[in-house]
Amino acid sequence: MSEPVYRLEVLTKIFDGTLTAVNGVDLTVRPGEKVAVIGPSGAGKTTLFRLLNLTVRQTAGRLWIAGQEIGDLHGARLREMRRKIGTVYQQHNLVPRLRVTHNVLAGRLGTWSLPQALRSLVRPREEDLRAAHRALSQVGIPEKLWARTDELSGGQQQRVAIARVLLQNPEVILADEPVSSVDPTLAHGIVKLLVELCSTFHKTLVMNLHSVDLALAYFPRVIGFRDGQVAFDRSPDEISDDLLTDLYAGRLTSVSAEDSPDAVPETIRSGTPLLRPQ
Amino acid sequence: MPYPKPSEAALPSSDHSRSLFPILFGICFAAAFVGSWQLAQIQPGLLFEAEGRRNMARFITGMFPPDLSLNFLRFLVVPFFETIQISVMGTVLAIAIGFPLSLLGTASLAHAGILNDLEIAGSPGRRLARTLPYVLARTVMSAFRCIPEFVWAFMFVRAVGLGPFPGVLAIGVSYGGMLGKVYSEILENLETQPSEALQATGASRWKILIYGMLPQALPQLVSYTLYRWECAVRASAILGFIGAGGLGQQIELSMRMFNFHEVVTLILILFLLVAAVDFLSARARKAIV
Repeated sequence: MSEPVYRLEVLTKIFDGTLTAVNGVDLTVRPGEKVAVIGPSGAGKTTLFRLLNLTVRQTAGRLWIAGQEIGDLHGARLREMRRKIGTVYQQHNLVPRLRVTHNVLAGRLGTWSLPQALRSLVRPREEDLRAAHRALSQVGIPEKLWARTDELSGGQQQRVAIARVLLQNPEVILADEPVSSVDPTLAHGIVKLLVELCSTFHKTLVMNLHSVDLALAYFPRVIGFRDGQVAFDRSPDEISDDLLTDLYAGRLTSVSAEDSPDAVPETIRSGTPLLRPQ
Repeated sequence: MPYPKPSEAALPSSDHSRSLFPILFGICFAAAFVGSWQLAQIQPGLLFEAEGRRNMARFITGMFPPDLSLNFLRFLVVPFFETIQISVMGTVLAIAIGFPLSLLGTASLAHAGILNDLEIAGSPGRRLARTLPYVLARTVMSAFRCIPEFVWAFMFVRAVGLGPFPGVLAIGVSYGGMLGKVYSEILENLETQPSEALQATGASRWKILIYGMLPQALPQLVSYTLYRWECAVRASAILGFIGAGGLGQQIELSMRMFNFHEVVTLILILFLLVAAVDFLSARARKAIV
């Protein structure tokens, strides 16, 4: 496939006519690429992701996904396009009262007909159950197949969300701060899991990260995002401390009064989130 | 020095844009309260006057002892089951009417929010096609529940004659409007994140509803429906007054004959029935959670 997975041209999103979340972004993502997006909170990263997974519509600019322009796409064709994009969210976004197996199989809702979907909710097919079990094994929690989702820990629920994306089998996976609400000790494991899964199954990966360390460690392409625009777009070895300081400058409001205002707080490099994401 | 010491920093001020609304609302409410007091001719003193006390005493003593004769009780078996049947069938009909209307009348499904953003954007035609059924459904639900059950029952008695059937229809229609409205509100107040995630897999609104919204809403939907069933039991008693059968009709007959000792028996039975419904509801609620 020679066409880019994503092509953005002056893509803009303005809320209520006043709040410019994404400000004229130009971007291209090729198939199989692994891209990390970093930047301060409120930079517009989540809005960018919601534009990329067709949750909200842009105010201006053009967007192509897999060579097709997303102009007035609606109905079945819109849903078909959404099926090609898998999303992992910060707060898992699973259905708490459903069993894990149904949450995982929900990844197939884009391909199933309504009667098939209904039937699966009542009594999943054998082959679907096996597929769900396989996906849960790949993320490390096969025994939780029939557990009720709200009984799982945060890290386990995030793995269920990844299993759901595996069942959806999209061409590109968008991960919006997938480890910000997860124990820091588990964060590496989950990021590594997603990167490896995308390598193994030849998928494109775009990940929004709070931790600069994780981004620089696992991704060959890192985009700095600030105030709704791309600040830089480089490989990790081309990213200097100055570049990072500029990216996060003016957002150090959680630093205590005792610290010297001139030093770059170690917390940027060490990976501990500076600000709790909202 | 960009970081002032805490003791020197000025305190942030509270929101100055205090709206007038709460104050205005308070004044209007006070005025309405005083006005209503006048209009409804509230005179608590009347309750305690000699004449009033005498009448109440006569009414109450007339009720005791309650008529617990086997003859009378045997006579009440059919109306008892009629009341239960009216309440159950009425509630089932209300669900059948209210649930589809509620789906049409839920803004987050019909025309608002992220489930509709991309679908509607840039197409006034599609927006209208989504908004029109919503407005119609809301209007119908409103009409159904604003007309009192009593009036509906009158209409239906004209249409299908006396007996339990008009009672079932009256409860079904008016409660259908109530259930529909509350179901809509429950669905609209759900968390949107699971729905957003399901939409991102390419699911249609129907699938999002079945997988994401109904499982989350189920405890609240069941809870309110069970409450409505309890109300239906009491409503069927009242509708009995205009010939809709059940215990209500017996109460009306006994009252007309001034047989208050029979009336109190009927009320006791009604009380036991409501208590049983209450108990069953609590059990059902626990099972759903």
